[in-house]
Amino acid sequence: MSMNRKDPTEALAALRGDAITITTEQCIKAWREAVPDALDDPTHVDVVGAMGSASSIALGIALAQPNRKVIVMDGDGSLLMQLGSLVTIAGAAPENLVHIVFENGVYATSGGQPLPAEGRLDFEVMARGAGFAHAARYDDAAAFKADLPGLLERRGPVFVTLQIEHEVGVPSGTRSAMMGQQLEALRKQLADAAAD
Amino acid sequence: MAVTAAVAISVPAESIVREIEALGITHVVNVPDTHQKSVLALLARRSHPTLVTACTEDEAVGINAGLYVGGKRPMLLIQNTGLLASINCIKGIAMDARIPTFMLVGLFSRDVTKAPADDPKRVINRISPTLDTWEIPWYPLERPDQLGAIAEAYQRSLETSGPTVVLVGAPTS
Repeated sequence: MSMNRKDPTEALAALRGDAITITTEQCIKAWREAVPDALDDPTHVDVVGAMGSASSIALGIALAQPNRKVIVMDGDGSLLMQLGSLVTIAGAAPENLVHIVFENGVYATSGGQPLPAEGRLDFEVMARGAGFAHAARYDDAAAFKADLPGLLERRGPVFVTLQIEHEVGVPSGTRSAMMGQQLEALRKQLADAAAD
Repeated sequence: MAVTAAVAISVPAESIVREIEALGITHVVNVPDTHQKSVLALLARRSHPTLVTACTEDEAVGINAGLYVGGKRPMLLIQNTGLLASINCIKGIAMDARIPTFMLVGLFSRDVTKAPADDPKRVINRISPTLDTWEIPWYPLERPDQLGAIAEAYQRSLETSGPTVVLVGAPTS
């Protein structure tokens, strides 16, 4: 069983509060559709140009801002690029980090090629084995939506894998320079908040 | 038998840590470097700066970016092999996204009686040409009187919003 990408993304957008959000790969487009002013939001970053780095950048932000929830929406192919980040995150143990993987089993951006061991690999087991405080898997959008408030309240790091329908995606169109602008906007916003 | 004079001399770990502390560094993001293990051992005994250990140098570059954006003063401590492994992330994050990324890089396995360019190992003699190809500023730390390179490289990373490297020539003592 699997869900479309839109429903869980909209659920996250509705409940994010003042969380810092990070997306990558196909999550970028889905977030922009769920949050029309995403490009003007200084608390949101689209990670491009550094394969697999969404979880690591999110970890750094979470460690720097322990009183702020940080939600990273990752791709399964992206996570495989820096799979060790599961262990690094568990080791640093940021309580404010929520790592959500949209697992569609394919490299959507490059044409839909299947992941290695697609259908056999188990990210929930990997995250639990790495030492995450909590890990869960959802193949139903309604169940995820019902549990989401509790997931966002839990002491983390929290890992969630969502079973997403197979899809062929498109490049987000975002360049590393745009990511740089978003990172700078977030940095300024956080610095201004600290100065207040 | 004649003893060949060392070209690179060990820099004491205490000296390096003093430089790091003087810069107000809050986090040292590392993938353990054999060459600088005495620095890591010293940092591990202190509560400041915070030592963050990553599984790979790719992660370290990303974590550094997140810490910087979050208002901290991070740096990387990695090995020459890891520098080579993480060039794509350095390109994407430190260079294209303009994130200050200061890296203390150990020249692990370097023959200290030879200049790096004369060392037959590619992991030594290709490091500075690699950095030059990517126009990443780098500074040698071949002996204790070059410790000023750490502050200079760190400040430059902030001023240019990009990567800089200090190459640690001999195993730290």
